[in-house]
Amino acid sequence: MNNRLLKPAHADDLITMMAAEKFVLPVGNRTKAPLSASADAALISLGAFRGIIEYEPSEFTFTARAGTPIADIQTALAEKGQYLPFDPMLVEAGATIGGTAAAGLSGPGRFRYGGIRDFLLGARFVSGDGQTICAGGKVVKNAAGFDLPKFLVGSMGRMGVLLELTFKVFPKPSALRTLRVQCDSHTQALARMAKAACSRWELDAIDYRPGERSMVLRLAGPARAIESIDHEIGTTWGEDVAELPLADTFWQSVNELNWSAPGAAAVKVPTTPPQCIALHQGLAGEEAIAMHGSVAGNVAWLLVASTDGLAAVDRQLQVMNIPGLVVRGTYDTPYLGVWQSPKIQQAVQAAMDPPAKFLSLYRHPRPPAQVN
Amino acid sequence: MSSVDGLASIYPPARFLRDAAFQAAFESDGLTAFRAKPLAVVIPESSEDVIATVRWCHDHGVPFVARGSGTSLSGGSLPVADGIVIALNRLNQILELRAAERIAVVQPGVVNQHVSDAAAPHGLVYAPDPSSQSVCTIGGNVAFNSGGAHCLKYGMTSNHVLGCKSVLATGEVVTLGGPSAESVGPDFTGLFCGSEGLFGIALEITLRLLPKPEMFHTVLVGYQSLQAAGDAVSAVIDAGLLPGALEIMDALAIEAAEAAVACDYPEGAAAVLIVELEGPREKIDVEREQLEEVLKKTNPFAQRVARDEADRLFIWKGRKSAFSAVGRLSPDFLVQDGVVPRNRLGEALVRIEQLSQEADLRVANVFHAGDGNLHPLIMFDGKQAGALERAEALAARLLRLCIEMGGSITGEHGVGMEKRQFLPEMFDAPTIALMDRMRQAFDPKRVSNPGKMFPGKEADVLSSSGLHPLEKAGVISRE
Repeated sequence: MNNRLLKPAHADDLITMMAAEKFVLPVGNRTKAPLSASADAALISLGAFRGIIEYEPSEFTFTARAGTPIADIQTALAEKGQYLPFDPMLVEAGATIGGTAAAGLSGPGRFRYGGIRDFLLGARFVSGDGQTICAGGKVVKNAAGFDLPKFLVGSMGRMGVLLELTFKVFPKPSALRTLRVQCDSHTQALARMAKAACSRWELDAIDYRPGERSMVLRLAGPARAIESIDHEIGTTWGEDVAELPLADTFWQSVNELNWSAPGAAAVKVPTTPPQCIALHQGLAGEEAIAMHGSVAGNVAWLLVASTDGLAAVDRQLQVMNIPGLVVRGTYDTPYLGVWQSPKIQQAVQAAMDPPAKFLSLYRHPRPPAQVN
Repeated sequence: MSSVDGLASIYPPARFLRDAAFQAAFESDGLTAFRAKPLAVVIPESSEDVIATVRWCHDHGVPFVARGSGTSLSGGSLPVADGIVIALNRLNQILELRAAERIAVVQPGVVNQHVSDAAAPHGLVYAPDPSSQSVCTIGGNVAFNSGGAHCLKYGMTSNHVLGCKSVLATGEVVTLGGPSAESVGPDFTGLFCGSEGLFGIALEITLRLLPKPEMFHTVLVGYQSLQAAGDAVSAVIDAGLLPGALEIMDALAIEAAEAAVACDYPEGAAAVLIVELEGPREKIDVEREQLEEVLKKTNPFAQRVARDEADRLFIWKGRKSAFSAVGRLSPDFLVQDGVVPRNRLGEALVRIEQLSQEADLRVANVFHAGDGNLHPLIMFDGKQAGALERAEALAARLLRLCIEMGGSITGEHGVGMEKRQFLPEMFDAPTIALMDRMRQAFDPKRVSNPGKMFPGKEADVLSSSGLHPLEKAGVISRE
């Protein structure tokens, strides 16, 4: 790929550069490279847009520039005993807050309180016509105007260039504990996941390794409380329950998408719990594919060590009539399976981007002028 | 009017209403200051009826307003004169409740409380709880991204909507989002929530359910000043606690609540704070000790912990009745819904007091303190010449105060008809222009709920004052 990488120093610079290009795509630290893999577009780096602008611990809010590495934000929050409850991914790899929002990625901990969409309060961004837009708000509750910030979550830089984002944060739980629950079958695992998810325990994460038939539960809260809940879970499922050794390493490998075959392509597939299992079964026999089910079966993460494996995932998602997104690795499109593309989507894209500066969604690369 | 005859052909006569009595019944919503007589009211019984109606309206350029129970406090479901009201109350089925997956798929006319009622046997709950939850519908909650008392911890309606099948203003039927909590691609569901009916009508809404908290720990605390109550909120937050609810009422609101429901709040309190922790019992055991420590240092003069569920509901009764109770202190009142940063609550309350004195109007304050959501109740006597205008001027001043302090003109009621002139004060011209283009993308003919959210002259209305009949009857309250 020989895209030009433009490096604006500030917003005016960015707007001027955008105006001079035919097609543009904003990028952060490119930890989700397939989302900005395009032969046509000039890449606009948000590397200079870095730093926390405001942080009010007693408000539970902060505002940061889009190119701020999440690691920096986590450090600042941790100093005040707070955290990002949507559990950001690829932090060690260098993910930025803007890239994470644009990619719409949340980690296992999103089970408890919600994903990145649920914690984004406001955004300043540049629309396709070079206007600076400031939508949403900086307070934790706000119902004024269309929720454009939420719409930008998952928009992959195809709807606007994020400049600044405001998030809600929560107090960090004082203690964590991780349990592994061995299951006999997927059916039993589904039933146990449902029980855990609907229980009084208020778990922080409920994940599932279908290859090993093991459910992994994370408890979070005051140490005294999780001690007692841990005991109850042990009583519920007896010898199948054990504390997971090296839990930090385990969760880090999930968030960094490297629990298997480091560097393999990574695919995100939103699922229902039964779909999560069906996807695993549909891919049985594909040795290059390792699956991790997260958020009580609401997302399947696939690590795929070969191009053939990605093609197999693509076929399986088409059979299941659901979409998947390649967030790491090389393939001819990041969009696997079946993506709905209603007419309204084109009208909305035109509204966000009147001069058609951004690569249009789900086309890779931008096709010749099309008539719908 | 042959064109309306075309619409009439979709419905049997009993569900296509044009007589004056029905037009009058639907002429207003929870914001009684405005009214407009619709051309006709239609009562669909299926998604197909709604789709056919929207397509007819789009084809003929006739405006329509979707309406559930009409509890909007921003005039969000106010009819458009010479438009169609689509009354969705009969689309009241919970289509699916998948307890194992913690989701429910519901029609727009399902009453908010009924979702939690249906979820309760499975130990689940639908978290958003606007105070009109016993009557307000999910369709309206989605359109206006309704809130409630638990937004700090659980977020607003949009945080609990996973997807919706909708008919857009153009007649296009789309499925946004789906049954998974996760998604890929831009968040159209999030965009649709809170679009105030300007994009179209949700037909099937997929809601996220949560496990019902095992235990509540509810504390009522009395303070000798509002400032002390406000400071206590900050102290609780700074201690690292995340209560499900943090509510404050001032002396005037307490007086009204006492008169209405004898809620037995601490006598002589300048303000009361309700703090509610919720979660597994082991966690509450730890957090209640922490809370006790924190509250001890906030200089309360009275404190009461709910002994049991009945006692807890009794404490909440005072809070929940406060708004309609204010009707006992004053023949008329306006309720505002603004947000300020939480750590500027004290400052905001001092300013509200000053502005209240300058305007010579009493203002009672009830608010969701945890999320900085103020509900000043401006009391006036509509029979006095110019009183309504003075009250409205004060309300406008309070909204501007929220904007100046970095907050919002609405925390949970939406912009609607009531606050549309303030939208350009909160957002700059390019942002409004983009929002307008988005509206245009969904509704090029501007037939879907025109006159709401955006400033301008669309959809003229008449104005009036006084309590809503349901409010007088104590069925709904403005919160």
